[in-house]
Amino acid sequence: MTIQNAVFILLAFMTLVPAALVVTVKNVFHGALFLVLSLTGVAGLFAMIGADFLFVAQILVYAGDILILLLFVVLLSGSPKDWATRSVNEQWMPAIVVSAAFTALLAVLLKALPASPAVPSAAPTTSALGFLLLRDMLVPFEAVSLVLLASLVGAVHFSSKKGDR
Amino acid sequence: MISLYSLTAVGAVLFAIGVFGVLARRNVLTILMSIELIFNAAALNFAAFNRYLHPDGVWGQGAALFVIAIAAAEAVVGMALVLVMYRDFKTILAESLDILKG
Repeated sequence: MTIQNAVFILLAFMTLVPAALVVTVKNVFHGALFLVLSLTGVAGLFAMIGADFLFVAQILVYAGDILILLLFVVLLSGSPKDWATRSVNEQWMPAIVVSAAFTALLAVLLKALPASPAVPSAAPTTSALGFLLLRDMLVPFEAVSLVLLASLVGAVHFSSKKGDR
Repeated sequence: MISLYSLTAVGAVLFAIGVFGVLARRNVLTILMSIELIFNAAALNFAAFNRYLHPDGVWGQGAALFVIAIAAAEAVVGMALVLVMYRDFKTILAESLDILKG
């Protein structure tokens, strides 16, 4: 086993085990912390396949931004009596069946992929991504900035008091 | 070099975990977190396919960046809605959202 495979297995476990804990633990605060561990594992996988800019963006956006937001909302809307009740609804058994069926289906479908194509060694992607975003994908880029502005305004609108709305 | 199959398998399992969370959990915040897991599975697959099938471009990574940006926007609006829900219903369990039920 090469060192690369060992690192990959480590990162896969670091992604999947906390992800499974997110949907199983009762305490939502702990769930949020596990979520960030899992998303950091995804960032590590990004780094493994040579997507260096995505690695940094993932850690900045998730560990720096969404974690803080999530923890604030967990604390503000926290009703510990909700954590004491059952954490899944009556449909948890069909839900397990559906997600297991999805996994099995994808495992069969992904067998059709080319086995392991030879790829050139990874190069820094930041400048290529900059050219892509500001030249080839300029219209979607501006659309996303509009979406972010709209979500900002929407968040302020929704969370203002009823009389002000 | 790790194979494309194992990377996409990690993405598929991550997606399935997220689907289970969306379908089965009662807490709205956990449902939001599961949606983040699904987004990340998609972004991971974009980056993996980019690396193995189209290594001379970065379009897949660009798409993954868009996924991350949309996920941030979704999280902001979703959590604002969770706060409003807590203010109006005093609980954030999904089954309490039944005011449209006849």
